[in-house]
Amino acid sequence: MDIKSNTIPHEDDTSGRTAIAVKGLNKWYDEFHVLKDVSLSVQEKEIIVICGPSGSGKSTLIRCINHLEEHQEGSITIFGERLEKNKKSATIIRDKVGMLFQSFNLFPHLTLLENCTLGPIWLRNIPEYQAIEQSTALLERVGIANLAQKYPGQISGGQQQRVAIARSLAMEPKIMLFDEPTSALDPEMIKEVLDVMIDLAHSGMTMICVTHEMQFAQQVADRVVFMAEGEIVETGPPEQVLGNPKWDRTSLFLEHILSH
Amino acid sequence: MRLGYEVFSKSIIIAHSKWLRSCKIITLKKLLYDSSYRSKLIQGLTLLLVCGIGYYFYSNVVENLHRMELPFGFDFISSTAGFDIGWSIIPYDPTMSYAWVYLVGICNTLILSALIIFFATALGFVVGIIRLSRNFLLSQCARWYVEFIRNVPLLIQIIFWFIVVFSTLPAPRGSYHLLDTFFLNNRGFYFPAPVFETNSSWTVIAALLACICSYILLKKSQIFRKRNGKRLPILYPSLIALLGFVAIIFMVTGSPLHWAVPSLQGFNFHDGFFFPTAFMAAFVAMTTYRSATIGEMVRAGIQSIDPGQLEAASAIGFSRFKTLRLIIVPQAARAILPPLINIWLTIVKESSLAVAIGFPELVSVFIQTSLNQTGRAIEIVLMVMGFYMCTSLSISYIMNRYNKRIQLQEG
Amino acid sequence: MENQQTTKSELLKFVPSPSRPPVTITYGPIGWLKKNLFGNIWNTLLTIAVFTLLFLLLKPFLEWTVLKAVWTASTRRECIDISPDGACWAGIFPWVNNLIYGLYPDTLQWRINLGIGIGILWFIPLALKKAQQKMIFSLMGVLLYPFLANYLFLGGDRSNFHYIMACAGLAYLLILYVNIILTYLNRKRVEEYLEPFLERFCRKNATRWAYLTIWMFITVIIAFILRNQTLEHVSVDAWGGLFLTLIISGVSIAMALPIGIILALGRRSEMPIIKWFSLCTIELVRSVPMITVLFMSVTMLPLFFPNTMELNKLVQVLVAVCLFAGAYMAETVRGGLQAIPRGQYDAAKSVGLGYWHTMIFIILPQALRAMIPNIVTSFISLFKDTTLVSIIGLFDIMLMARNISIDKNWLGLHSEPLVAISVLFFVFCYTMSQYSQRLEKKLNTNR
Repeated sequence: MDIKSNTIPHEDDTSGRTAIAVKGLNKWYDEFHVLKDVSLSVQEKEIIVICGPSGSGKSTLIRCINHLEEHQEGSITIFGERLEKNKKSATIIRDKVGMLFQSFNLFPHLTLLENCTLGPIWLRNIPEYQAIEQSTALLERVGIANLAQKYPGQISGGQQQRVAIARSLAMEPKIMLFDEPTSALDPEMIKEVLDVMIDLAHSGMTMICVTHEMQFAQQVADRVVFMAEGEIVETGPPEQVLGNPKWDRTSLFLEHILSH
Repeated sequence: MRLGYEVFSKSIIIAHSKWLRSCKIITLKKLLYDSSYRSKLIQGLTLLLVCGIGYYFYSNVVENLHRMELPFGFDFISSTAGFDIGWSIIPYDPTMSYAWVYLVGICNTLILSALIIFFATALGFVVGIIRLSRNFLLSQCARWYVEFIRNVPLLIQIIFWFIVVFSTLPAPRGSYHLLDTFFLNNRGFYFPAPVFETNSSWTVIAALLACICSYILLKKSQIFRKRNGKRLPILYPSLIALLGFVAIIFMVTGSPLHWAVPSLQGFNFHDGFFFPTAFMAAFVAMTTYRSATIGEMVRAGIQSIDPGQLEAASAIGFSRFKTLRLIIVPQAARAILPPLINIWLTIVKESSLAVAIGFPELVSVFIQTSLNQTGRAIEIVLMVMGFYMCTSLSISYIMNRYNKRIQLQEG
Repeated sequence: MENQQTTKSELLKFVPSPSRPPVTITYGPIGWLKKNLFGNIWNTLLTIAVFTLLFLLLKPFLEWTVLKAVWTASTRRECIDISPDGACWAGIFPWVNNLIYGLYPDTLQWRINLGIGIGILWFIPLALKKAQQKMIFSLMGVLLYPFLANYLFLGGDRSNFHYIMACAGLAYLLILYVNIILTYLNRKRVEEYLEPFLERFCRKNATRWAYLTIWMFITVIIAFILRNQTLEHVSVDAWGGLFLTLIISGVSIAMALPIGIILALGRRSEMPIIKWFSLCTIELVRSVPMITVLFMSVTMLPLFFPNTMELNKLVQVLVAVCLFAGAYMAETVRGGLQAIPRGQYDAAKSVGLGYWHTMIFIILPQALRAMIPNIVTSFISLFKDTTLVSIIGLFDIMLMARNISIDKNWLGLHSEPLVAISVLFFVFCYTMSQYSQRLEKKLNTNR
């Protein structure tokens, strides 16, 4: 076996604009070095799946991109605009980035329709009737139009996650981040959410997904990134990383995940 | 003949046993073991017991009242009171009836409670928010404020404020004062009272009109916003114009409002209005006490919101202020409101502790003074408890209706 | 498969990059200071401002309380001469005895100490892990301790029944402790020694009969030994201070739970008369302030009983406080009962348990365990509320403290006694509330 020091896989700019450029990202939680010199470049309309064992820092990476966590070293640039450490730049960037959470995080005191129209009305100053039209169309797209007047507490997990997708889409983002969107769902509901995500992928959205659903990766991902111990180990097209990995760590992980 | 007799007796026996079987005989066994009979038995016994005890008390009361030559009845209400009350928010003099004394007590209780409710809620929200501050020193200050106040009995605090703080203030001649209009001394807190002259009705009408207009304006701007997405541009200028309108009317009719400022004449203050020392001590003690409880409730309410929602809100792009207004406050309000209303009820009931420092609220004026004068213990205690019961029960009823409505909505 | 085997040997070995320490310090004491106190410019300014404010407020308080205080003097005038700006703690020391025991004769105060000591001894085993059957001896405590306490505190001529019950109480306590010691030494309990002899007579329940026999035997012995001892009668009017506060809170706490359970069960009952009766009692008692209930019991209660029956003020107050405490406890218990899922009732019914069996063995233990933090909070409130009895003239610790200011030597000494009893209450209530929080955490993790 060839013991090599890891060289950080270097991405080169190909077609289209660079949607996200992460360079030399380092993050510490107190003393713990959780992200070590991570660099990643995402093109427009590219679909990236990040996978890895727990504790590898993949959720942290996504949350840093959206400024939910602060990074100490390195730079994150979104469509050319650099993400500063203060909060003002975050609001400019969040206009273009939408995020989905593992625990859906719908607002329980509003109906599903109100959940979707809240952002457009208060942040984009769209008149209410227009926001309702757009949101109803989005809810139809994810297949929940008939439940628009219900409250989040009255629907199932899969339906909640789909509404969460509609809510993010209502803000017309250019990039969508998914933080383990199906981990909290029953197996029957995972399919309905993945269908919506696949539909979204085919419509040309730039997506970064942290997930364990390898079939999804094989079906739509342009690139799969494997992370472990806070750094990127391997990256490449799904056939290569999932079928023919180069590093032993990747292979070990895939054995565990594919045997379930 | 013998045969006839035998047939006759047998038929009687058969008829008798048939009748026995057809009756539903309630045996002792059935009473104890059949659940529907047993529940009726228990209820019957309880009713009997309660009635028995009630009758025993009733007969004792009748006998004791007869022995002490005290009549029973509420007729004493219309007789003259004949004693002085230290301080009253509504006009009172000793020639008035006990009914008026009752009213004075209720009004004093209500004004004390209302002021405490308002200031304790405001202070409580401040304390709760400080408690959630990220600055360690500040949040610990709030924490120990709450701990000290909650763990010392309220009565001790009331007496402490009365004896140690407010009674040791200087005499009226050496009062602490603010701008020569507000005075604080050992008799109480003096402040200017508004005096309305006859022309003031124009200003009042103008103010009412302005309120109605601004309400209509606000409603219209809401509709406008829903239709067009932005705020009505003439909203703020119109509100200012309405205010100016009221001010102009006020000045044109000769400024019919002047303030009677307390002025020191001799050894005491005249004019103006004042709250006595007992009131101030009870007010300060109970406001700080309840602000601690409300602060803890506010903190719990805000912390009960799932932090994931704040993340989702910031991911959509809401600023901290908008998150506060659209996500945190609606949910926290629903969590905080029911216990907050309970605290308000408790404040009304707790105001009765002011009797310990001699403030003439309902318990002091009616149960202590009036009872001593008339000796009518039962009637007086019933009237006082009746007031508190009515207030508590009606407000709890309204709260329950509100709670049910909210719960249905959230599904 | 073969393909994978060959590619496996070509896999590169992954060696994680070394971690390095962060450039800006965010951990440790310096990091904590930065995050919590001096994070940014606003935070720093705020910290400085609050610090200055605290210093300005606490410095005079500290001077008054400790630095300039007078600890020995014989009159207030002396105190003021020595240090006019300091607290006159010297006035409290001669009154400590009265603050704790009230007007109880000095020579007989050992009876109070003994009584309270026995009370504490009785409830210590609740905290021990190896003690068994905690419910039973708590119940026995509530039933038997009052006789013992009554005998010790009140003294005088007591009926034979009283005397026997007091001796039974002592005997029970003795056996309890002997059993605990034996359990810790891993020996057999006392009644298990007697069991073999009784097994011939009653095969089942031999343990219980053995226990009862030993208990009765020791009761008789104690009654015999103490038969000639009489304790001097001390009138209830002489009871006061912390002793009286503890009596009132103790009795009301002990009665609050049973009354509350009965009222809560009644409120949930399906029999309309009982339900309405409980509902009315709870709502009416909860909707009036405690002071009116106290006034009611002092002014109205004598009218309800025949003239020949004399009720002293303490009994009237105890009736009022127990009723009040029971009504509030009923709401707490009802909350606990509501939290029990319906499945428990169904399961109990399917096993065949009747109403009382279900309640006593299944539902109530769960409900009470869930409500323990709330119950402890109610107890703390009750303890604080006993100060209200000073308004109707009972000499609890609060009225005693206020009386210091009318003593001729210490005329006008207002703040020091109030501060002293505030500290007492604070220490007690804070400890209890911390205990209840720890209890809550422990119960939550147990689930």
